[in-house]
Amino acid sequence: MAAITCEKLTKRYGSVTAVDRLDLAIGHGEFMVLLGPSGCGKTTTLNMIAGLEEITDGTLRFDATDVTWQPPHKREVAMVFQSYALYPNKTVRENIAFPLQLRRTPRAEVERAVADVSEQLEIAHLLDRHPSQLSGGQRQRVALGRAIVRKPSVFLMDEPLSNLDAALRLSMRSLIKHLHQRLQATFVYVTHDQAEAMTLADRIAVMRGGLIQQLDTPDGIYSRPANTFVASFLGSPPINLVEGEIAADGRFARGALRLDLPPGAVAPGRAVTLGLRPEDVAAPAPGLASLEARVTLVSPLGSETLLEVVAPGDVALTLRVPKEWRVRHGDSMTFGIDPARLHLFDRQTEARL
Amino acid sequence: MLARLNRKFGYDERSAAILVFPVVAVLLVVAAYPILYSFWVSLHDIVLTRPLRRPFVGGDNYLRIFGDERFWLAVSRTTVYTVVTVVVTTVLAVLVALLLNETFPGQRILSAVLLVPWATPSVVNGLMWKWIYDPTYGLLNALLLKVGLIERYRAWLGDPDLTLMLIANAAVWKQMPLAALLLIVTMKAIPDDLYRAAKVDGANVLQRFVHVTLPALRPGLMLVLVYETMISIRHFDLFLIMTQGGPGDASFTLSWLIYVETFRSLRFGTGAAMSYVLAMATFLLSWAVIRWLGKRI
Amino acid sequence: MAGRPLAPRIGRAVLLAFFSALFVLYVAGPVAWLVSSSLQTEAQITAIPPNWLPPEVNFGNFDAILNAAERQVTYETRRQGDPATGGFLPSGAANLIPSLWNSLTVGLWVAALNLLLSVTAAYAIAVIDFRGRRATLYTVLATRVVPDIALIVPLFLVIRNLGLINTLGALVVTYLAITVPFTIFILISYFEGIPRDLYRAARIDGCGHWGALRHVYLPLSLPALVASLTFAFLTSWNEFVFALVLTQNVAAQTLPIVISGFVMDFTTSFSFVNAAGVIAIIPPVLMAVLFQRYIVSGLTAGAVKG
Repeated sequence: MAAITCEKLTKRYGSVTAVDRLDLAIGHGEFMVLLGPSGCGKTTTLNMIAGLEEITDGTLRFDATDVTWQPPHKREVAMVFQSYALYPNKTVRENIAFPLQLRRTPRAEVERAVADVSEQLEIAHLLDRHPSQLSGGQRQRVALGRAIVRKPSVFLMDEPLSNLDAALRLSMRSLIKHLHQRLQATFVYVTHDQAEAMTLADRIAVMRGGLIQQLDTPDGIYSRPANTFVASFLGSPPINLVEGEIAADGRFARGALRLDLPPGAVAPGRAVTLGLRPEDVAAPAPGLASLEARVTLVSPLGSETLLEVVAPGDVALTLRVPKEWRVRHGDSMTFGIDPARLHLFDRQTEARL
Repeated sequence: MLARLNRKFGYDERSAAILVFPVVAVLLVVAAYPILYSFWVSLHDIVLTRPLRRPFVGGDNYLRIFGDERFWLAVSRTTVYTVVTVVVTTVLAVLVALLLNETFPGQRILSAVLLVPWATPSVVNGLMWKWIYDPTYGLLNALLLKVGLIERYRAWLGDPDLTLMLIANAAVWKQMPLAALLLIVTMKAIPDDLYRAAKVDGANVLQRFVHVTLPALRPGLMLVLVYETMISIRHFDLFLIMTQGGPGDASFTLSWLIYVETFRSLRFGTGAAMSYVLAMATFLLSWAVIRWLGKRI
Repeated sequence: MAGRPLAPRIGRAVLLAFFSALFVLYVAGPVAWLVSSSLQTEAQITAIPPNWLPPEVNFGNFDAILNAAERQVTYETRRQGDPATGGFLPSGAANLIPSLWNSLTVGLWVAALNLLLSVTAAYAIAVIDFRGRRATLYTVLATRVVPDIALIVPLFLVIRNLGLINTLGALVVTYLAITVPFTIFILISYFEGIPRDLYRAARIDGCGHWGALRHVYLPLSLPALVASLTFAFLTSWNEFVFALVLTQNVAAQTLPIVISGFVMDFTTSFSFVNAAGVIAIIPPVLMAVLFQRYIVSGLTAGAVKG
């Protein structure tokens, strides 16, 4: 029992609307990531699901039960915080045992559960320490332990990895993914980090200004972004966006730049924004549109090479090419582009065409 | 219907109501109700020696106060006393804060000593200074004679020109520590980098005080000024212990007037009206200072 | 350090020593003189010039206070004289020990009740986002800025009408009205410094508001709790005006009232009064020095906040 249904969920602070009539159905056992920049309403949404923020309007259901007005301690959700939020006056053991003690679990059972969880998370040797004696990664493991010891059906995670350094973040990411696979519980995970979102999520809800911009699988979000915001929020380096219009011949035009589009995609004369992912370029080949550009910067990454180029019409683009390409600063080159991989957005509404 | 009620008074509201109720109840009974009751009393001619007749007189009590020359005398005494007390307290507090903000052996002991006056009951403070000022056996006479500042013993508190100042001294002694503590906290918040920058720029000790410490101290200083004013304006204990408004009317302040009017003459109506005037004056004064502060900081 | 020139360091040390001496003289001098006087006989303290230090330490005054209840003070016994106090044992001397107990009783009740009331209210205001939060906050704020002088007349009338004049209960309730608003501010500012995520974690882990207060806020705010207790006890121990108006005799009079009675009684022995003053000063000063750190952080936090 752990499907979460948000119906027109709204949170207002005075005249400011943080979350605006949000509809979201999270399935049982699903890993849902709420992704967006700070202030987009993702944490507020999570807090409303947790019961930590009062819901101004709308309905929240866990399965068929209306929990809109249920206080957090009655909701049977577990949560992990960016700041770890371990009780500083309790030892690791007491921290993990705390949720069980509040539920009046028999002592022997508590001990067994704590031992079990600390074994899983490899923190058994830390049980008698206080949080202040632990490193950041250890703290977050304890926080995870405190969450999973209750065996809840819903896990809420509020940027749990943001305080960790890069290497630790990677290992914790896979730990969380393993946990999800093992626990079969519903996860709602808030982050502003697209890599976390892409790697962890079954589905991603990209949010901005209290509204969901797009709800889709990671692949769907990446390859079919619903608007320019979603397109530019995911991908590193970010997608190239070029404003222009559709010429009479059906091609994209911006100054001297002309690019072939899939036939009949958009009516001529329309003002559009063209999106080109840096990696969607290849060597020129039949069937591909060709793009002439002059290389202004070459940044080798080891596994591949980043190029900054200037195309006709003074359009600056960032491209990612195989490391085998021999490119030098100042070269003029021709790239091949698959028209099917181009993204077109309406310039006014910013929506995908 | 039930859902709606639930909505208006959810778990948070119900818990908060239970948690807050006792305090609100106590404050309503012991503070809010008396304040309103006091207003009612101030509109009536209530004399305790005549308990049955308590006619409604409207604003007469207030009008009578403003026509009472004792009131204006008390206003001027209170003003002098308050200004002296507040200014001296603040200056001393700044000096003490500068001293205790330094790190040196014994600094922690001095900080503990600083709390002694703060913890001293005002009655003991009064009797202590009265004893020091004592015309025949007091320490002050002996000390000044020894140093050669006076030629013979004087009755210090009996001198109308000095009484207010001497009481103010006792008040300063007790009040200075809290003010100094507040200033120390403000000083501790000044980033060390500011001093290092000033040193690098070639500022000497005095320049560093004027250009770094003093500006950063301003919020704390203002807080001290407001707080000390509100406290000093209503001092009463010292006056009762040390001079009872005398000699003559040399220490006849507003709170003393209120006490005499109410509990010696038993004219509760005018006493209440006077309390109201003093309370409003304090209130407006601090409100004005805070507004003024709010604009400047 | 070794490389630094010596002269400025010595200069600083001399300056600090000089100002420290001035400071101690001004702050501790008067109390030292009071203590010194309390350890002398009446004859010794009425010597001219005065004895700066007691020629010999004499606890006669304290002895007289402790045993005052057993003495029948009449015109006759006063004339016969009392060796320690120079024969001027004040008629109210027997009230001193009872008033000490009254002060202690009131102080402890006020400290305990004040904490109980303030902790719950401060938690609600600092932590819970409830309708009426601002109204509650302003009520507390308003009662804090009203000067006590405005409360004296009506409180006297209210308590007299309730027939509670000259009871310890009336004092306790009155002192709560003085201390609670201030303590609430100390605690609010302390509670707001506790990371919000700890509250959220506690709620998620299964605590209601009561549980969050008990398991998170109370254990983590010990310094503020100690400061509140001390502040409330000291305020009630030292308070004078309300006690003067609301009490009449030994049943409810507190120490400051009895002592002020001595001071205004011209026949009273100075040494006896000084000893009484020392007795009244010991508990609060002891508490203040003992809990110094908590008091400083607590008092200043509350003051800065409000």
